[in-house]
Amino acid sequence: MKWQQWGRRGPTGGYTLVTKQALQVASEDRLRADAYGLLARLLCDVPDGALLTLTSEITGDDSSLGSALSALAGAAATVTAEAASEEYHALFIGVAGGELKPYCSFYLTGFVYEKPLAKLRLDMERLGIARREQVKEPEDHMASLCEMMAGLISGAFGAPVDLETQQRFFDRHLAPWARLFFEDLEGADSARFYKSVGTVGRLFMEIESTAFEMAA
Amino acid sequence: MDDRKDAKIMERRGFFKMVGLGAVAGAATLANAPREAVAEVAKDASGSGYRETELVKKFYELSKF
Repeated sequence: MKWQQWGRRGPTGGYTLVTKQALQVASEDRLRADAYGLLARLLCDVPDGALLTLTSEITGDDSSLGSALSALAGAAATVTAEAASEEYHALFIGVAGGELKPYCSFYLTGFVYEKPLAKLRLDMERLGIARREQVKEPEDHMASLCEMMAGLISGAFGAPVDLETQQRFFDRHLAPWARLFFEDLEGADSARFYKSVGTVGRLFMEIESTAFEMAA
Repeated sequence: MDDRKDAKIMERRGFFKMVGLGAVAGAATLANAPREAVAEVAKDASGSGYRETELVKKFYELSKF
């Protein structure tokens, strides 16, 4: 039944090619990918001046998410690269580990390198996503998961995947802990600039959860 | 695509509008800024060599290497 790989049976019993339309990324999905990309970018590494400048140029609007983005831009405009970098270290790196451990495995089991990471690795293999060699961190870091979601939506790892596949990935690897993590980030003692990152992340994860429920 | 699925897509699109997802457009530059990407297309992804090359090429293009 080879035809199933590229087409589906139309109502008249003929074959219908998967149209180009179906493979295009809808505007709302482009925005979702950008939101994930933004969170990934802000969480993946120690911030530098360029990142803060770009962040300060974000313009929000009157919505909750829009206000949170405005607040993020405002915070980026006032913090120095040095202070933001110190904050990042205190939150995520630290000598004896940062204040927060941004790993799915840690949030779900209390330890890194546990079963949730193994599950993620299996799903990554299925989806054709691999970790670059120079990245030594476990893949279930929040920044990595956001980057994977962005790529799955936008098609950075091949063709964009359908909503069901996105939802399965979200439900398995983000839904169980993403909201809690961003809440923790908002409330972390060391967080100043990253408080506003936490708010944007929390609001966006809430939006995603609701939207996936609607689509189900 | 059946009507029910269409309606869901529209409902979902309306929801994103309502919650102000459009505001993220202002962050698109940053979201797509060059960076050390953590994930990449699996080099040993199944399929023909041609497809693999295309995927890797696309990855580098997107991450602006």
